[in-house]
Amino acid sequence: MRCCLFILFFIPAWVFSQKDTIQNIQEVRASDFARIPRKLNSSITQEDILETNPTDVGDIIRKISGANIKSYGGLGGLKTVSMRSLGASHTVLAMDGFSLPQLQTGQVNLGQMQVDNLLSVTAANDNSLNTALPVSMQVSGSSVLIRTFENTFLAAEDTLAIRANAKYGSFGRLDGYLAAKYQPGKLMVSLFAGSRQAQGRYPYSLKNGLQNLTGTRENNDYRDFNWGTVLAAKFNRSSVRIGYRQKEIKQGLPGAVIFYNQTQDERLTTDEKNAFMDYTIWGERFSLRMHASGLLHKLEYRDPDFLNGAGGINTVYNNRSANGGATARLFTEHFTFFGGIEQIAADLTVDDSLFAAPVRFHNYGLLGAIFWWKRIKIKGQLSSQYVSERNNNGENAPDQFRINPFLSIELGKYRKHLRHQIWYKNTFRMPSFNELYYNNVGNNALLPEDAHQVNYGISIVPVERKLDLHIRSNVFYNEVRNKIVAIPTQNLFVWSMQNIGTVRVYGFDAMVDAKWNITSYWKSVLTANYTYQRTLDYTDEDSPTYRNQVAYIPLHTANMDLAFYYKKTGLRVSNYFISERYTLNENVPQNKIDGFIITDVSIFHTFKIGEKHHLRAQGTVKNVFNNSYAYIRSFVMPGTNFLISMSYAFN
Amino acid sequence: MRLISAVFIIVLLFSCKKEEPMLCVDETLNSGMAVLCEGLFQQNNSSISWVDFSDNSVTNELFVAKTGRQLGDTGNDMKRYGGKVYVAVNISSTIEVLDANSFTSVKQIEMIDGGTAKQPRSIAFYGTNVYVACFDGYVDVIDTTSLNVLQRIQVGTNPEDLAVSNGKLYVSNSGGLNGPVMDSTVSVIDLTTHTELQKIVVGLNPGEIQVDQGGDVYVITRGNYGSIPSRMKRINTQLDVLEEEFSFDVSGISPMNDKFLVSYYDYSTTQSSVGLFNPQSETLENASYLDVSPVNTLYGVHYDIGKNKIFLLDAMGFTNTGYVREYDVLGSYIISYHVGLNPTEILVYD
Repeated sequence: MRCCLFILFFIPAWVFSQKDTIQNIQEVRASDFARIPRKLNSSITQEDILETNPTDVGDIIRKISGANIKSYGGLGGLKTVSMRSLGASHTVLAMDGFSLPQLQTGQVNLGQMQVDNLLSVTAANDNSLNTALPVSMQVSGSSVLIRTFENTFLAAEDTLAIRANAKYGSFGRLDGYLAAKYQPGKLMVSLFAGSRQAQGRYPYSLKNGLQNLTGTRENNDYRDFNWGTVLAAKFNRSSVRIGYRQKEIKQGLPGAVIFYNQTQDERLTTDEKNAFMDYTIWGERFSLRMHASGLLHKLEYRDPDFLNGAGGINTVYNNRSANGGATARLFTEHFTFFGGIEQIAADLTVDDSLFAAPVRFHNYGLLGAIFWWKRIKIKGQLSSQYVSERNNNGENAPDQFRINPFLSIELGKYRKHLRHQIWYKNTFRMPSFNELYYNNVGNNALLPEDAHQVNYGISIVPVERKLDLHIRSNVFYNEVRNKIVAIPTQNLFVWSMQNIGTVRVYGFDAMVDAKWNITSYWKSVLTANYTYQRTLDYTDEDSPTYRNQVAYIPLHTANMDLAFYYKKTGLRVSNYFISERYTLNENVPQNKIDGFIITDVSIFHTFKIGEKHHLRAQGTVKNVFNNSYAYIRSFVMPGTNFLISMSYAFN
Repeated sequence: MRLISAVFIIVLLFSCKKEEPMLCVDETLNSGMAVLCEGLFQQNNSSISWVDFSDNSVTNELFVAKTGRQLGDTGNDMKRYGGKVYVAVNISSTIEVLDANSFTSVKQIEMIDGGTAKQPRSIAFYGTNVYVACFDGYVDVIDTTSLNVLQRIQVGTNPEDLAVSNGKLYVSNSGGLNGPVMDSTVSVIDLTTHTELQKIVVGLNPGEIQVDQGGDVYVITRGNYGSIPSRMKRINTQLDVLEEEFSFDVSGISPMNDKFLVSYYDYSTTQSSVGLFNPQSETLENASYLDVSPVNTLYGVHYDIGKNKIFLLDAMGFTNTGYVREYDVLGSYIISYHVGLNPTEILVYD
């Protein structure tokens, strides 16, 4: 009954009933424990995504507690996420159960990921996502799982589903997306294509001393096109999926707003091809998933104004990676045993004879068990990783071998709807190819960056007839050792990567989800979270930055979304706040940049035509108070802007 | 609806901003020094600090206080000529011309050529002209009265520094953006005809350039930060030939009366030294003339004749705010002033 109540609140648009293969697999054994909603991690639902009209995946992830987004602005601009101050490279992203490795930079650009096809985005630091996911995801500092429309099966009674939408917005924004999947019986085939574009010439206002500098962002145009297809089949006790995605992006890189000099004309072209397949088989007491994927990522960077003898830079980077693995699980009365292996092979070739030609083989092994007994759940795992590096153009980095533990103890109290969890994990992230080999900057003697995380969390679900409430809170302590930082080692213009940092994070977060059925027509939803992260530099006692807040990490981050629904019409107000930050580790006034709050408002209405056709119109005003703000110093973000969208869904 | 009000109250709370501190600097500058701080690339945080010698206090935003706006990105050089101060701001690509007494803005010269930033790097003076080495491979000639760019003289790649001797301008062509195949030449320009007479090959990656009282030009060739070390070379300006290479480690030259303070900072070991060089006898008189132990990252050396003091510029690892460390001429450490990020040039006011 409570479950139904919960679902009822997910209005007004479409309630999708697809489940992906992975989530079909029985994760949890029947026990009292399992009935308490699992809400210690943070998930952004499709309703959230639709109603807030995000620009890209970065806009979605910033709503997750503990996420710290670095955004360099504009559609398609670089956006990375660091969870709980670990650093962006500690997060592994997976789409529909396939990891998305980015070995060149170590960080996926969330700004280049479109959102129209997304069903949910879930982030977790506590290894709670799913033990059928690739091992690389289960041994990372934090993981983000994205589920898409095109790669999930239809509900049993449906044979066809269609999604289409068009968006029009400020600064020449024009988006289109069309997807369909057809599932006659056991076989499913899906096709999708989408495109986003913007001129990106937005006006800005930036403080320059005691004056206000106003201008228009130039060289900020963006155009992408992506398409893909999935062929899948689901049988009684097995399923198979095979798919392909491709993305082409052309964009200008506007750079920082440099006072008195607006001559940037750097360009970036990205070309990404991704093929993937998996096979899953399951029974009463076991499941096995085998997966393989390949990714070709090509970047072409051009800077015609670079003042070298050749009269500019034009460099092409080709990053290829192939990965394959298997995860298996065995269920008994009180135990789930899980384990897996994964192998990633990746290389980078650059059409610059000075650049290294690195090849990496990264091998993962994982063994673990979940023990269930009454109200106790204990999960433990040990993983091993072996990384072997080669460089076909110069010295290579040494091989690495690590064993890393994870332990979690959960205590659930059914009647009081209370749940406690304490967990510890030790993970590491490998230095990226750029950090190891990038011309003068790279340092092939770099060690992996180690992270230790300890967390205590509590989740409360009080039961009320009209109000569905979830309250969650965590206190955590993280320590990052051998942190990779850049320091000048040859001259001021040649910085090099060194393992010299130690960072300690003292954190706290709190989240509230409330869904309130005011009358049978009126409903209201509140989701709010707050994160406190005191992230201190403990590198060197004699340094002026000792125990100072680390650059670009806000002490306070908060989200508050409030939505009202009347029948099929809704209004949603989204607020995002981050406090002031420092642009360098030294906490002096010159390095301070202001905190900001951004408020977006959406109004939407759904028309139902017959049983299965849904037409939705939505208008969103972003940054309604026209605040001038920046995540990164001098990368000023747009003021008030709008986005209107029309979408159609069949099934 | 109460919830909506609550949202807006929170919005208002978050929107409240603290008041800006007032910047107080005297109308006319005296008994102190202006310190140009480069800041860091792409951060728009170049600044000028003012050190007041009467109470040793430091105001970090002299330029903002005087002009109401920021200096911009990467101020590389600041020199006084006549009644004006000229500041070369590299990434913002401007020459800021200030009144030397009040430090108020006279003109901001935009250094953009056909949509490409010229990136001014360093400044020298001769007659009624200012000469600006621009990273795009030219020396710009600016008239000190009209403050207009009169002419662009093509030199080598990424010119770094300038010196005037014997009616000629010597320009070190670093080719620093061309690495690892950097430039190795010094361009010689006739200051009457404004034409390049020749390029003298001096060694890989020429940087700082200075003139001694006899008119010889000394240039540092910084090498490749590896197998080719950083060295000082001497050019005979009568013949315009490279005459001598010195064998000690050196990365900077600053004149002190008739001698040079020669400084060295080793980026890989972070060790530094300041020695005393005699350009008459062409000998290094003292390899460690100053005790540099108070200095963390030596980023510049400056001797002021009026105050008769030596100032060492300490960049504190380049990502922390820096210090100016004052010494007497005999090498005794006196006092430190906490200034902005990456201090690079000093102008002393008596």
